[in-house]
Amino acid sequence: MLAGLGLVCLVFVLLAVRQNLLVILGVVTAYATIAWGDGRIGNIVIDAWDAANKEILLSIPLYILAGNIMSRGAMAARLIRLMKAISASVPGGLAIAAILSCALFAAVSGSGTVTLIAVGAVMYPALLEAGYSKSFAIGALCAAGTLGIIVPPSIPLILYGVMTQTSVADLFMAGIGPSLVLIALLTGYALWHNRAIRGQAWSVRETWVALREGIWALAMPVIILGGIYSGAFTATESAAVAVVYAMLIEILVYREMGFADLYDVVGQTTRLLGSLFPVLMLALSLNIFLAYQQVPELLVGGLSEVVDSQAGFLIGMNLFLLAVGCVMDIGSAILILAPMLHPVAAAQGIDAVHFGIITVVNLEIGYLTPPLGMNLIVAMTVFREEFWTVCRAVVPFAILLVIGLQIVTFWPALSLVLVR
Amino acid sequence: MITQDRQRSLATTLRHIERVERVVTFGCFLVLIAVVFADVVSRESVGTGLHWARQVGVYANLIVIMFGLGLASAAGVHLRPRFADHWLPANWSDTLDRLRDAGMALFCLGFAVVATGIVYQGFELGERSAVLGIVIWPVQVVMPLVFIVATFRHGTYALYPGLRPAASDDAAKPGVVIERDPGC
Repeated sequence: MLAGLGLVCLVFVLLAVRQNLLVILGVVTAYATIAWGDGRIGNIVIDAWDAANKEILLSIPLYILAGNIMSRGAMAARLIRLMKAISASVPGGLAIAAILSCALFAAVSGSGTVTLIAVGAVMYPALLEAGYSKSFAIGALCAAGTLGIIVPPSIPLILYGVMTQTSVADLFMAGIGPSLVLIALLTGYALWHNRAIRGQAWSVRETWVALREGIWALAMPVIILGGIYSGAFTATESAAVAVVYAMLIEILVYREMGFADLYDVVGQTTRLLGSLFPVLMLALSLNIFLAYQQVPELLVGGLSEVVDSQAGFLIGMNLFLLAVGCVMDIGSAILILAPMLHPVAAAQGIDAVHFGIITVVNLEIGYLTPPLGMNLIVAMTVFREEFWTVCRAVVPFAILLVIGLQIVTFWPALSLVLVR
Repeated sequence: MITQDRQRSLATTLRHIERVERVVTFGCFLVLIAVVFADVVSRESVGTGLHWARQVGVYANLIVIMFGLGLASAAGVHLRPRFADHWLPANWSDTLDRLRDAGMALFCLGFAVVATGIVYQGFELGERSAVLGIVIWPVQVVMPLVFIVATFRHGTYALYPGLRPAASDDAAKPGVVIERDPGC
């Protein structure tokens, strides 16, 4: 009891003095090993090393690098041109083009913030010029930018798979249905909200030219998901193929990247990995300790006494994860919470893959919720607007995503239809 | 004057370290891509994969991660829970930033000491990779090495806050946010 109180106090002190997550996790793991384990700190290092000594983890650096390579070139501009050409004749067509561009670019880059910056920088002025309200433009781009979190290949889905030993390929497949629902909700709202803004005449020639230029970028998600779904590649192999494909397209076909750019992109990717992986290693080490101490079982037992229905559990989990998304970044939240919540969900009879999707969609909404919503912070800088202006703009879209979350939560087949 | 000279030479040392880290991680990243891709090509073309490829890729990845820790420190993009940033008075920020670096330096030193013991143990036992058949301590040695470098780096930032990367606490820059965003 006293040791537990000491741990809580220690965590509060470390948070108050603004320590990095790596230090907090390391200190917590060491404290727990001394207080409740065998006191052999060396085991933490051994477990951390073993945690990183896994083949499945190779997919994370490779997908991040592929996304960063594709994001460095003019891929976003090509996809936007194609989406504009396709949706030009529809009322509110440009808004729909913005959302579809975000979805497509997310499938190429695998990143929410990169998507917002790459597409937002081009589409925001275009939307304002075409007569769309500032509030709508900011909200739509911020919300559509979050699609990168769930549209495969998604790094949070890989992290979830690694932390809970769930198939990453299955998670990718399960992400497709919910992505389509979220895209449909956002585009449906864009169509309804902007029904007064008339479209332009559809040009076959412009669509053809845009398709010809964007076809290489469009092929990327097809290669990744097609390769995995057909059984030709594992998630790791498809990531390696994606990197090589991205390099060939950017260097040889589009000719927008040289060696210096590649060196920079690798540096940028490595910095991200250097901040993420050591935390992941320690989180897995702590996870091993907790499993050895049978903490998940205790948690399952305790919660089973409180929660009496699956629906009640899912509603409670959604509220909890939405709150977590407000104060924690998605990576940290998955690393710390996924191993704890996964067995509890399993005990409630919820499929591991489905629960992974629910978790990630919840945390995706966290990108739009103050005070720490990543896309709010990025939008504030990219669109040069006040933080609260951005917050107000995303409200209707956040509501739409919450509706989407309920559909994803209470319609398991939406996620699992491609997995089974 | 002496302090300024010392700061300048420390800044130069940190820059050199960062350059080495970038070259090493770039090389290892290329190895990682090459071996995993070669494995796929080999399997698709001649029917059998390269049995050693994944393990070489895993080791290359481990080196990338470890040296990446240093690059993340140099760019000030380590993951940090920010919801508690307002618990203590705002005018304590400079002191808290120095305290964070001192805490990180201490943590890295502790980790380096423990890791050195583990690697030495592996060296004495002659631990080998089951797939590659090679001793693994030369790979594992990157762990204490990068944590010693991280101790030096964060210790320097704690002593001379002027050398801390400007981006370390600037959450409003998109580039910084991207590098901090594990959703990337």
